[in-house]
Amino acid sequence: MNKNYIFLTILMILLAAGTLFLDNRKDNYQIKPEVLLYEIIQPTRYVTTDQVAKMIIDKDPTLELIDVRSPEEFDKFSLTNAINVPLDSIITAGSQDYFGLPGVKVVFYSNGDICADQAWVLTRRMGYKDTYVMKGGLNRWIETIIQPKEPPQEAPYTDFELYQFRKGAQIYFTGAEIESTQVKKKSSVKVRRRKKTVTASGGC
Amino acid sequence: MHVHELNPKKTLITVIIFVIVIIVGFLTLKKPRFTYKLDMKQSVEILHDSSLYFYPWQLADVVDNVESNVVLIDLRDKFSFGQGHIPGSENISAYDLTEENNIEHLNELKSAGITVVFYGNDQLQANGPWMWFRQTGFDNVKILLGGYNYYKAHKNRLSQTKSDKGFMCELPRYDYAKAASKKASKGVNNTVKKKKPVVVRRKKRTVTASGGC
Repeated sequence: MNKNYIFLTILMILLAAGTLFLDNRKDNYQIKPEVLLYEIIQPTRYVTTDQVAKMIIDKDPTLELIDVRSPEEFDKFSLTNAINVPLDSIITAGSQDYFGLPGVKVVFYSNGDICADQAWVLTRRMGYKDTYVMKGGLNRWIETIIQPKEPPQEAPYTDFELYQFRKGAQIYFTGAEIESTQVKKKSSVKVRRRKKTVTASGGC
Repeated sequence: MHVHELNPKKTLITVIIFVIVIIVGFLTLKKPRFTYKLDMKQSVEILHDSSLYFYPWQLADVVDNVESNVVLIDLRDKFSFGQGHIPGSENISAYDLTEENNIEHLNELKSAGITVVFYGNDQLQANGPWMWFRQTGFDNVKILLGGYNYYKAHKNRLSQTKSDKGFMCELPRYDYAKAASKKASKGVNNTVKKKKPVVVRRKKRTVTASGGC
């Protein structure tokens, strides 16, 4: 047998064997560190409580809320249709089903926003895109949606528009009664007509 | 007859050169600037390690220059830094973090065993960078709880913040279930101001001179 043939065959087998040791891209894919840091310093992942409230009210089908707190806290209170994936289990194989679904916007939230942000960094490192963090977390949810504060008189008009939205959202989420049905003592409007006086109507 | 049988030596030499070129190519591949030193599991574990946090009361020693083994790094932009920062801190804006000279500086601090503390306006701003640097092998990086905002509000009573909980951002500030319940919100809407009776008084019509037109 030709020596060259043998040599080439052995070379091919070695190279083929070498490919067995290549990183199995799918299971352990992670984005490059430089890319991760670049994404970390962008503020584009933050969504406000108002934006989340609007998506819930609009029954936006692309919204997927993920609560990263413990199961006990989740059972006590959670946002509408939220899924509980505790921060520690974010990287387990079972949780991966919740991420990377096409067209789905994943919004992480927690009591504050630190834990949600940590979940974002971890999932982003694993390559999942279209993930967001609700800024302020449930603490801010209470302060803006459940207990909105009326803006001061000098505030710009947009603040009042936002306050109107939040009042509506408050009613939606707490089932509170709309203000008008709470019967206020109707103020008696007294109209006093002035006595008709004789008007000088000379001329045209 | 096959070409390689005509010139067996030439073929062999070509193949060997080919293999050598490939091997040399692999060896001279540019080493990536950063690599992950912690895997996913370790990255999750460090989040619970409270020794990686820097508490506001620990700032007292740093600010008074008593503690020389700690360097504070302000991740905000130059403008915010200029308006006010924790005394003695260096300013490396988040966008400049990957610049060669800044990485070199951080590497030097790491080899010197100096603790580096990141802070931003709030803890959230420094959270991502802190995680990233830990994951890429900078094991001397800590994060300031509460951020600059908390420091600013309590800078005159730093040592007393030990008993405070305000900088722990992940503590629930409300009983969520109670606050969001129907009963609670009823109370919110009850601030009804009693309306004063409205009296409408029409203006007395004054005689208008309407001569001419």
